[in-house]
Amino acid sequence: MTRTVDARGLPCPQPVIQTRNALQESAAVTTIVDNVTAQQNVTRMAEKSGCTVQAEEREDGIYLHIGKGELPQGEAGTQPPSTLAGGPLVLVIPDDSMGRGDHELGQILIRGFFHTLGEVEPLPDTIIFFNSGVKLVVDGSPVLEDLQDLRGRGVEILACGTCLGHYDLKDKVAVGEVSNMYTIAETMLGAGKVISL
Amino acid sequence: MSKSLHTVVLFHSTNHALRAEKVLVEAGVSCKLIPVPRQISSDCGVCIRIGRTDRETALRALETSGVEIEGIYSI
Repeated sequence: MTRTVDARGLPCPQPVIQTRNALQESAAVTTIVDNVTAQQNVTRMAEKSGCTVQAEEREDGIYLHIGKGELPQGEAGTQPPSTLAGGPLVLVIPDDSMGRGDHELGQILIRGFFHTLGEVEPLPDTIIFFNSGVKLVVDGSPVLEDLQDLRGRGVEILACGTCLGHYDLKDKVAVGEVSNMYTIAETMLGAGKVISL
Repeated sequence: MSKSLHTVVLFHSTNHALRAEKVLVEAGVSCKLIPVPRQISSDCGVCIRIGRTDRETALRALETSGVEIEGIYSI
């Protein structure tokens, strides 16, 4: 039987949480959302858990038809163990400036840091931006070009949606994906190494 | 190695580099504040990288503004 989760009007990450809970009880779930960010977050979570997602746009919302794929032992929601050689390298950017102390100096340092990141090895698998760190992924960011270059080389860039909302920057995102605490926490916990600036 | 794409300009301090960046942006020169490349100096400093073709315009703008330059390199 298909369960329906009406997630319209719910703040992030509620649509993800409710969908996940429903998936634990039912093999097929239809989640209704009212914005693209929620659609992306729910879809990403579902696909990561091995489910198939079909989106259907109706007048009153986006209907996401989610079905569990062929999972061994029916272990829905269990993430595969971290991959090869210790797992992904995750870089965490909690601020738009590097280090404590003088803010202006910190901003110079972070510009230098992202420039250098493109020139040294290894590349991180994922870079997560939260709190004022999200100011680095939006229009006018001093490191936008570097981030676009890293993105082009396969680095996943995740920016905290709550934080973008807080700074009123949600419609100014210029690189990467708007993400939520679920994905952020899972990405950090599933990492082989987390480096936080 | 004669086909270097960029020119980097070094300054006496980080503040000078920041001032120079403002001057160049106002002069319409596209530039980037970057750490001093390893092959130039092992000091932990920042410098300004400009496109090779912007070199003359940039240096003229900097000269007019009076920001002192420590060195100019091609990379």
